[in-house]
Amino acid sequence: MVDAGFLVAQLVNALFYSSILFMIASGLSLIFGITRILNLAHGAFYMLGAYIMYTVMTALPGGASAVLGILAAGALVALIGLLVEAGLLRRVYGKPEEVQLLLTFALILVLDDLAKMIWGPEYKSLTTLPWGSLAVGDYTIPVYHLVAIAVALASAVGLWLLFSRTTLGKKIRASASYPEVAEALGVDTRRMFMATFMLGSALAGASGALAGPVLTAYPGMGTEAIVLSFAIIVIGGMGSILGALAGALIVGFTRTVMAVVYPVLEVALIYIVMAIVLLVKPTGLFGGREVERR
Amino acid sequence: MVEVSMEDVWVEIGGVEVLRGVTIKVEEGASYAIVGRNGAGKTTLLRTLLGILKPSRGRVTARGRGRILDMTRTPPHKLAELGVGYVPQGRMIFPDLTALENLEVAYGGPVPGDTLEWIYTILPELKRFIDRKGMYMSGGEQQIVAVARALVRRPSLIVLDEPLEGLAPRVVKSILDALREIKASGVSILITESGTISRVRGIAENAYGLDRGEIIYSGDLDGLERDPEARRRIWGL
Ligand SMILES: Nc1ncnc2c1ncn2[C@@H]1O[C@H](COP(=O)(O)OP(=O)(O)OP(=O)(O)O)[C@@H](O)[C@H]1O
Ligand SMILES: [Mg+2]
Repeated sequence: MVDAGFLVAQLVNALFYSSILFMIASGLSLIFGITRILNLAHGAFYMLGAYIMYTVMTALPGGASAVLGILAAGALVALIGLLVEAGLLRRVYGKPEEVQLLLTFALILVLDDLAKMIWGPEYKSLTTLPWGSLAVGDYTIPVYHLVAIAVALASAVGLWLLFSRTTLGKKIRASASYPEVAEALGVDTRRMFMATFMLGSALAGASGALAGPVLTAYPGMGTEAIVLSFAIIVIGGMGSILGALAGALIVGFTRTVMAVVYPVLEVALIYIVMAIVLLVKPTGLFGGREVERR
Repeated sequence: MVEVSMEDVWVEIGGVEVLRGVTIKVEEGASYAIVGRNGAGKTTLLRTLLGILKPSRGRVTARGRGRILDMTRTPPHKLAELGVGYVPQGRMIFPDLTALENLEVAYGGPVPGDTLEWIYTILPELKRFIDRKGMYMSGGEQQIVAVARALVRRPSLIVLDEPLEGLAPRVVKSILDALREIKASGVSILITESGTISRVRGIAENAYGLDRGEIIYSGDLDGLERDPEARRRIWGL
């Protein structure tokens, strides 16, 4: 007989993990969908978010510092994104992919070392999560997890509103389809790409901030995150926000369920799912507009 | 009002000189056709004029609303702000946006009601598919949206790159009627044409003949048909 409290706790776990994954993967997918750049350093941005959260939460006590940490991580990583876009990536738009990949790969090495210089090589974790927990039967659910799920939901709704309801979002979509035409019609496409990159980076930073206190911050934590993000956007469809949401839920739930049921296959099953999706629908679950774009 | 000009402009694409010393002037209130065979360099000329392509030599200048822009070093969106509309070759309607959203992007915000009404008087067919996405429109419908999109900022010059290419006679007539009305309302027109000039008669009174990246004729439109050099190099007569 499976305990109801156990099920609820695992459900919240899976949703929490999916939320983190959605935020990082949607940022990666968004940047790729609009600028056509696969930012390998996106995971390093996530790592920076986790460290910034750690710093803020150890410096200031209390639950308010967690909110501040998430906002600070989002804003600071957006700023780093701005510098990276304006200083480096802007020069390689439309260039051969290997140039773009090499550049963003180099950025991982730089940011990982930077993190080691600032925070040292050891794992950074917090002893307790803010906001306490709820009891469900014999199990407890951290309120922190529920807040993270709410933040991810709000991000999903916000992204949807931005791209379907605002002129800015439509200008960004137009710039992705035909940049030269959009520009000649009066859209400052350079600013559109910059804004997209900053938004995607902010999502990575906020995602890292939410994950940090639970999963601990360490150099190289971005690598695992970026690899999972690839799996997610391949499953969901490159450039699709809805796809990132579906992919994140699939990966989040697969991992949580397998960790309980059959841990040996915990990671492998994700890639098996990915391979099956690729075989059945190569553009991913919600991809496929790709074809008519270019 | 706006005036654009190119002076001794050279443009190189992939090691080939596509424009070779082009000098043209689009004066305010006047309308022009650029006539040349396929591959003559018409699209390249327009894209350079708009600041999308940067020349290896020469000057590209736009004047209007009290400003002077050096288009060899100004991002193209500034020219749109000066009052220049653009209809690209191949229509290039943003595929996952509706017709109205295509206009919204060009306007930079929700399209004002009176502007939309004015566009409907010029292009009444637009009303029928205003909420349809670009990817679900026929070529003729896309061309109508492309012209509407160029009008939405109420420009004083509209630049059209072969807007009649590959359209059925009925749509050609709609577009031509619209262009005549636009011209009558005081908007200047710069249009390219690769075939016969009879279609652009009544839309442009001036012409530039373009062949292999060189301006080989400049004068009034009817003079182009009588010019022996232009007849030989453009139509092979
Ligand atoms: N991106 C490019 N890469 C290589 N060659 C190009 C490019 N763009 C234009 N060209 C070449 O430049 C020349 C002029 O092209 P352009 O498109 O300006 O001609 P056009 O007069 O507009 O032709 P059409 O009537 O077919 O539209 C052609 O020979 C074309 O092959
Ligand atoms: Mg052309």
